[in-house]
Amino acid sequence: METIDKLEILADAAKYDASCASSGAPKRSSEGRDGIGATNGMGICHSYTPDGRCVSLLKILLTNFCAYDCQYCVNRRSSNVPRARFSVQEVVKLTVDFYLRNYIDGLFLSSGIIRSADYTMEQLVAVARELREVHQFRGYIHLKTIPDADAALIEAAGRYADRLSVNIELPTQNSIEQLAPEKSVHTIKLAMGNIRLKLDEKEAEPKAPVFAPAGQSTQMIVGADASDDQRILSTAETLYGSYKLKRVYYSAFSPIPQSPKSVPLAPPPLLREHRLYQADFLLRGYGFQVKELLPASGNLALDIDPKLAWALANREHFPMDLNRAELAMIARVPGIGLRNAKRIVELRRMRQVRYADLSRLRCSMKKIAPFIITADYSPARDTTPSETLRRAMADAPEQMPLWPELQAA
Amino acid sequence: MLLLVRSFDEWRAAARQLIVRRAPPESVQWTGQEEGGDLLSGAMPELPPQASQQPDVAPRVPRQLMEMLQSAACYRDPGRWAFLYRVLWRWHHGEQEILSMADEDGGRLQHMVKAVHHEVHDMHAYLRFRERPESAGAPRYVAWFEPAHDVLHEVALHFAKRMGRNSWLIATPEASVLWDGSTLHSTGPLMRSAADIDDPGEAMWLTYYRSIFNPARLNADIMHSHIRSRFWKNLPEAAVVPQMVSQAAAGARKVGQLDTVGKRKGATIPIAPEDAQPERQQPSTLDECRRCDLWQNATQAVGGQGARRAKVMLVGEQPGDQEDLAGKPFVGPAGELLDRAMDQAGMDRRKVYITNAVKHFKWEPRGKRRLHKTPGQREVMACHYWLETELEAIGPDVLVALGSTALKSIMQSGSVALKDHFGKPFQHEGRWVVATYHPSYALRVPSSEARAEALAAIVEALRTAKRLSEGGPPEDPMAA
Ligand code: SF4
Repeated sequence: METIDKLEILADAAKYDASCASSGAPKRSSEGRDGIGATNGMGICHSYTPDGRCVSLLKILLTNFCAYDCQYCVNRRSSNVPRARFSVQEVVKLTVDFYLRNYIDGLFLSSGIIRSADYTMEQLVAVARELREVHQFRGYIHLKTIPDADAALIEAAGRYADRLSVNIELPTQNSIEQLAPEKSVHTIKLAMGNIRLKLDEKEAEPKAPVFAPAGQSTQMIVGADASDDQRILSTAETLYGSYKLKRVYYSAFSPIPQSPKSVPLAPPPLLREHRLYQADFLLRGYGFQVKELLPASGNLALDIDPKLAWALANREHFPMDLNRAELAMIARVPGIGLRNAKRIVELRRMRQVRYADLSRLRCSMKKIAPFIITADYSPARDTTPSETLRRAMADAPEQMPLWPELQAA
Repeated sequence: MLLLVRSFDEWRAAARQLIVRRAPPESVQWTGQEEGGDLLSGAMPELPPQASQQPDVAPRVPRQLMEMLQSAACYRDPGRWAFLYRVLWRWHHGEQEILSMADEDGGRLQHMVKAVHHEVHDMHAYLRFRERPESAGAPRYVAWFEPAHDVLHEVALHFAKRMGRNSWLIATPEASVLWDGSTLHSTGPLMRSAADIDDPGEAMWLTYYRSIFNPARLNADIMHSHIRSRFWKNLPEAAVVPQMVSQAAAGARKVGQLDTVGKRKGATIPIAPEDAQPERQQPSTLDECRRCDLWQNATQAVGGQGARRAKVMLVGEQPGDQEDLAGKPFVGPAGELLDRAMDQAGMDRRKVYITNAVKHFKWEPRGKRRLHKTPGQREVMACHYWLETELEAIGPDVLVALGSTALKSIMQSGSVALKDHFGKPFQHEGRWVVATYHPSYALRVPSSEARAEALAAIVEALRTAKRLSEGGPPEDPMAA
């Protein structure tokens, strides 16, 4: 089979993994040196496909032959998909060629499980090693880690890769047992814990060899099982706290060809996925806790964003005086983002904040008005019922900017 | 006065002198083009010193503002030099508001900076090199781009880092840069449109682009909102987008798979489910414990460790953050302190058995960290089963209860208080029990004096335990 045919099959097989960020690597440069590649820590999206998702890395599987039978996965052994397998050399050449034409920032390599976890992991490491050592490639490398693989292989992977990830895929032990019989939450957690220990060691000992400087991440599939958003976010919160993950990616389950009966046939729940990303951002960036966003089991509201939902459910904090409130609280006002909260505090040092300042800062005035007090403005206190506000501020259903800040970590 | 400037450096030199001479913004006209007439290029004419006014001091500009001015200078707008001078003038006269977006000039400045950064970013992202055949010689890679602002030089530095010793050329309608593998050369325009080079690498890219697209998630508006329309005409993938969109819209949305992949011959993998099971160490029954809910948020159960027939067993509270990851008891900071205490008490860690009352880490999220939470009596009782198993297997003569949770577990009672038993050995179910602080208490108390006291108390308890295990008396005969 020609490389181009394999590329068609093995990119198609890799598209269900939501992660694509290329940020967080240390600064590297090839100026005047052998080899190629640079990173500046930020990562770049080099294109967008018509599903609105960015192309930042060459995202492919080494092979889509797989011994496992995970029901949500198009590559499961019982699936009747065309199969292909790249050689190490082919992946290396594709990466270098794409990189030189400025299509990508690096490689994100994953694989079906062939022969054994160790054998599969060895192959993934071999690609990264060849890129780094033979081609002196200084671009971004993200390796998907096989949880059952030997700790020594994970350590080797961390020497070459900027980021490692272990996918949890489903938020509960029960779902994993049912839909992914060969996987085990236990080994997945152990693998994540192992990576975190190595990251901690490196942090404590700066002279130790490099280990996955862009950290680790994971992915959860949304809508393949019956878990609600509270379950999903609680699992994310647990994983963030336990393993210092850089990111949890949420991937709306896409129906797959010859779908098994155990998974839904419905179109992907994109809006739900979007709300989860917004909630996740509030957890990581704004200091919210899951129990604040979702005090009981259930799903995030679809018609309004989670920050607005929180504000409407907690009216006692509002209206908030922007000339007095603390930065962290200002950032909790609907329509004011982290950056604008900082700008407001900066401006406050020079003079009083006025209503017109906020529109110049491009805050969302439609959202902000009932929640704030400025030097020259104070809304009628608590007279509008939350339900009315909610109706006035609900997003039009077709507005759905996916991947709002995918590059942010 | 009419001044001609062609670069940021020229502007800066001129602006500096103007400030020193107290020339207000209204008194200067700036131009970036030679339009004939009486032009003063960069250098300042000798103005007769004004007797009434002392020259002003040179402006002191913070780095943040200088960088903003430099970026804004790349913004293609005939009024840019005059505007930048007004900003500098206002800053110099104490108007710090110029840094805020809420100020009118400040807002415009930030808008210009943002537009220039945006353009730099887009050029980093959407510039495409085509590869020329090796036989054609240098440059091996050629790109054409139409930037809206004067960002070519900055962008060239980015590609010099990225491409190593490979030679390349970036052409724009206004100017070009050439990298020969070690040096950058700037020239005037060299091309009039996208390079007409047949690069087979482009076919690979289009295949990748088509395959990585998920038709089930079709959302072309988002794509267009990210890539501004003027860039599309030079992107190779633009040619295949309309077909991708219309195919996805016409029914192919049902699944994520690319239709050409679906048409290929498929194959299942003939492996029996038993053979697919990975070879894994069987989780111990402790790992599978579901007697309470603590297993859910922990990584693993942490059982005891130590000598198989140890005479002394140390019982702590529960694994912490580090123990949870490592799967071993007392490896974190509290473990280090315990090691020190054992050292001072003359106790050999290899000869004792160390475990915890509760085997899974109980915690709650605090920002991005895990905050230890004391296990409740229900969890302590549920987990007592495992302590019992360990007591049976090891058969120690002496138990050291490190902290009140350990004591409650050993006594199987939620009402025992550490202070009632502290440092006074007693017998329980045929064994000696010595109760003292948990090592993390000795880490936590604020004053260094209290810390030293706590450590001393732990050392003392360990000494007592050692003595009891050797058949000695409960009280230290030397103490009196
Ligand atoms: S803490 Fe103890 S009782 Fe609770 S699940 Fe873990 S091992 Fe079982």
